[in-house]
Formats: sequence, structure tokens, C-alpha cells
Amino acid sequence: MPQDAGQAPVVERLRAILPQVPWEFVATPNDPAIVVRREDLPHLMQTLKEHPDLAFDYLRCLSGVDHIDQLEVVYHLRSFRHGHTLAVKVPVPLEDPHVPTMTHLWQAANWHERETHEMFGIVFDGHPDLRPLLLEEGLGYHPLRKSHPLAEIEEWQEDFLEREEALVAAAAPPGARAEEDERAKKIALAQKKAEVIKRAREEARAKGLTGEEERKYVQEALRRLEQEGG
Amino acid sequence: MALQQEHELETIDLHINVGPQHPATHGVFRMILTVDGEKVVDCDPVIGYMHRGAEKLSENCDYRQAIGYQDRTEYLAQFNAEWTYCLAVEKLMGLQVPERAEYIRVILGELNRVASHLMFMGAFGTDVGFFGTPFMYAFREREVIQDFFEAVTGERMMYNYFRPGGVAWDVPHDFEEQCRYVVQHVRRGVEELDALMTDNEVFLARCRGLSPVTPEEAINWGFSGPMLRACGVKHDLRRAEPYSIYDRFDFDIPTGTQGDVYDRYLVRMEEMRQSLRIVEQALRQMPKQGPVMAEGLKRTIRVPPGEVYSRTESPRGEYGVYLVSKGGDKPWRLKIRSAAFCNLSALKNLVVGNYVADAIIILGSIDIVLCEVDR
Repeated sequence: MPQDAGQAPVVERLRAILPQVPWEFVATPNDPAIVVRREDLPHLMQTLKEHPDLAFDYLRCLSGVDHIDQLEVVYHLRSFRHGHTLAVKVPVPLEDPHVPTMTHLWQAANWHERETHEMFGIVFDGHPDLRPLLLEEGLGYHPLRKSHPLAEIEEWQEDFLEREEALVAAAAPPGARAEEDERAKKIALAQKKAEVIKRAREEARAKGLTGEEERKYVQEALRRLEQEGG
Repeated sequence: MALQQEHELETIDLHINVGPQHPATHGVFRMILTVDGEKVVDCDPVIGYMHRGAEKLSENCDYRQAIGYQDRTEYLAQFNAEWTYCLAVEKLMGLQVPERAEYIRVILGELNRVASHLMFMGAFGTDVGFFGTPFMYAFREREVIQDFFEAVTGERMMYNYFRPGGVAWDVPHDFEEQCRYVVQHVRRGVEELDALMTDNEVFLARCRGLSPVTPEEAINWGFSGPMLRACGVKHDLRRAEPYSIYDRFDFDIPTGTQGDVYDRYLVRMEEMRQSLRIVEQALRQMPKQGPVMAEGLKRTIRVPPGEVYSRTESPRGEYGVYLVSKGGDKPWRLKIRSAAFCNLSALKNLVVGNYVADAIIILGSIDIVLCEVDR
């Protein structure tokens, strides 16, 4: 059942401890949630973790959400001492996607923040090591953004490959093409030879020739092929 | 003095690359170890080889199609993964799951936990150096559970059986009989495995006292499940934040004292017994007949706007699904909080200062499923 602000004692408690910080209460089925401003986040989180009446010592989940007009980071917290939970939501503007890191409070935030960074392009200021985690380096796009469609990227890649191939072909010197042709001829000749040998062998066997005679028969066929080709 | 200086050699740290294709990494996982002699001084885990974008894919298919991706994300505890996802959808829709379906879910979920822990026992035994025997023992029992799951769902691996509002179809007529056989069989197998491994001297020598973790550290590093309970924190979501019908069952939460590798093993061993206990109780209480699906559900599920973070106790710990809906038939955002991902993120803290050979055991004791880590 969705909770009201009055039904969530932890939010009441937080209101008493931090009366000056503005927030908006959101009802969600499992946890009470608050939406806070980005500039209040470091102070708020510090208090949430360190105040004995709140004691949120466990960061269970950190998610990014793309709302198209803005991004959002959601922290799900739990307190082992008091057994209460809280979700903290922070809207992040698209043009300035920066959020202070929480790794100094909860080490669990480390990989979560790295993942959210690569997936949404949200920069966590002060993070010790913001390399990509699941994706390769230098990808150039953020897959979980809504502006990144699922299907079109593949088409884009195909187009890209075709364009690349065309560029390479145009850039190659003319001599290279002649060499290619020479090679193709050799391959065709070898294939033809293999065919002739196979046919000659079958014919020899059908005539019931011995091993030595069969070899001669095949050689004869090859010589004929060379004369024709020469 | 001069002679001494002459003999002093300059030493450098050596980098060892383990994986991504390595039998000891339990999947496609790579770690770059920096070693000083035999001791590990730094560890850089590299993941993402199995990343298939399950979250993005789920955003592009409707609520029922997304269940399949949960199986493929957590392929050793599929029922638990499906369950968490279905719970999230049910919470947002305000659905009431029929009694019989709840019991079916509990039975399958708990047996899935046993199957997953059996897999851990086998693989961990191989890591420690048992070379195959526990693996065979564990897999013999796991096979019985797999057959049972196949009888119920028609699948051996990607069950796709739970639905928002219940389960896909009713269980076979001899469900109870089969289930009792499985419990009896697996219980004997667990005891055998216990006798084989727990008091083994080599096993004790290698595992006891290895990489102990304090409760404060474990909580700060985001541990959950057996990794957390091994440190002495009595936390189990089935008790702490009861979901489904777990408040009706009587079971113990095993905890360790040291938080070392051996405690993690012991906790899992005991959890299998407790799970079997729950299954037996559920079988006794389960209504013999009744619907298994909530009524009045349309074929295409439409979820009202809202958000929910649902979590369950999966074999590896807290499996969470953060679901944001903006109305319509597709999830707006589906974040999967993977337990193995969070447990693995503290790998560096666990292995630094230990021997290279022990690093493999420590990695094994986390019980990672790389598909779950990379999603």
C-alpha cells in the first residue's frame, strides 16, 4: 500500500533533524521516497548515514533513470540498526549531468556509480575510478538513455561498415587491384586442377586400371589441361 | 656491507592475468592480479563480457515478455529472479496472488535455492582441490531437482513460469508426490556432501580464517545473502522484510562468526537444510485446489504509473528490481540489482594480502554468476 508522509516515521524523523532542507515526498509501495535538490545531496546523505536516529548504513541499490527532459539518480537505503528504508531521488539536468559521489560514505556505491556513468552519462564528481565497467572504453554513446534506440544503432553500424569498405577500396593504389586479379586467377587454376584430377581418377577406376596406370592416367590429364591453358 | 649490497636484487611487481576464459573464474570473468612474490598486492576485476543489455531490452518489450530476460539474467536461480520481477509488477498493479500460487512459488523458489547452492558446493569443491568428487555428488542431487522443475514448467533452464498475478499454469497432478521424493532424495545427498567436505582436513586448512570480513565492512561494501550472514549479521529478507507468505514458515537463519571463506560455505550448507524444511511445511499447508492466477487479468498487462523497488532473498543475496512505470504496456525503466554484482565489487578488499592460490578460493566463495553480474 502506498504510504503517506504521515505514515512514514523515518520521513518525520528526518524532517525533525533537517528542517531546512526542502524535499518532496513520493509514495511508493515498498519504501518512502523523497525528491531532493542536487545541492543538498552531500549534506543530506552524510546526515542520513551518520545521525544515530537515522543510521542508513546500507546502500542497497543505486539506479539512473532517464525521464527525457531530465535524468535522475535514485538511492535505495536501508538501516540495519533501525530496520527502516528510504529512497532518495535526485533530478539531474541533461545539460549538466554531474552528481557528487557517495563512495566515501558507502563503498558499495563504487561499481553502481561506474555503471550509471557509462549507461547514462552521469558524471559522479569525486569518484576515485570512473572507467567504464560493463561496456568497452570510448564507446561514445550511453545505451540506457532514451535517445539511444535499440534497433537503429545496428543499422547505423552496418552503414558505417559499408562506408568504411568503400573508402578503403577507393584509397587503395591501382597496382593492388592487379595483384588481387593475379591471385584470383591462381586460385581458379588450382580449383580447376583439383577437378581434373578427381575426374581422371574416377575414370581410371571405372576402367579397372592398376595403381601405377592410374597415376599415369592422371598425369596425362594434367598435361592436357596445361596445354589447353598454355 | 659492500658484499651485501651487491647481492641485493631489485624486485618488481608482477602482473598476472586470470581469465576471461579460465575454469576458476566461473564464467567469463577477468581479474588482473599484481603479485609480489606469492602475495597479491592489487586486484583489478574486469567484467562486462556477458553484458547483453537485459535492462534495455526489457524496456523495449511488454511486461510479460520481460519475464524471460529475468531467467537469462540469473540462470542459477531463475525462479527467484522471476519472482522479484513479478512482485514488482504486482505491487504497482495492486494484484492479489491466489493462495495456491503463493505456495507453488515458495516451493519452487526454495528448491531453486538448494539447486543453486548445490552448484556452489560442486564448483567450490573443485576450486579448493577436491577435483570432481563433490561436483559429481552435487550434480546428482541437482539433477533430481532439475527433473522436477522440468515436470512442472516444461523447461530445464529458462523456466519462464511465474507471471504477474500467479503462475503460468497449474502444477502436474502428482506434484506433491514428486516433491516429497525430491526433498527426501536431496536431504540425503546434502548430508553426504556435508560428510564429504565439511570436516575434511585439507578443506579446513585452506578455508578457515581466509579473508575474514567484519560486519561493519560487509554492510558498507554492500554485501548480502550468505556473504553477509557469514559475518554474523542475522539478516534475511524473508524475515527482515517478509514478502509473499514467508511469515507463515518456521525456519532458522544460519550465521557465521568470522566472516571467512569457511563460514560462507557453512552458511550455505545450513541454508539448504532450512530450505528443505520450508518446502516440507509448504507442502503440508498448500491448498489442494484453487486458482493459480489472479482473476480479471487482460492478456496485455498495463501497469499504472509509479515506481517500486522490490527485493527478494535469492541464493546469492538481495535480488532487487527497480521498476519505473509511466503507464502503458512497457516498463519505462527496469534496473536489476544483482546480488553477485554487489558482492563481487569488494573483490579487491577480499583478495589483497592473500596468496594467489587463495585468491581463486575467495573468488569461488563469493558464488558469482556472471550473467547476473553483467546483465
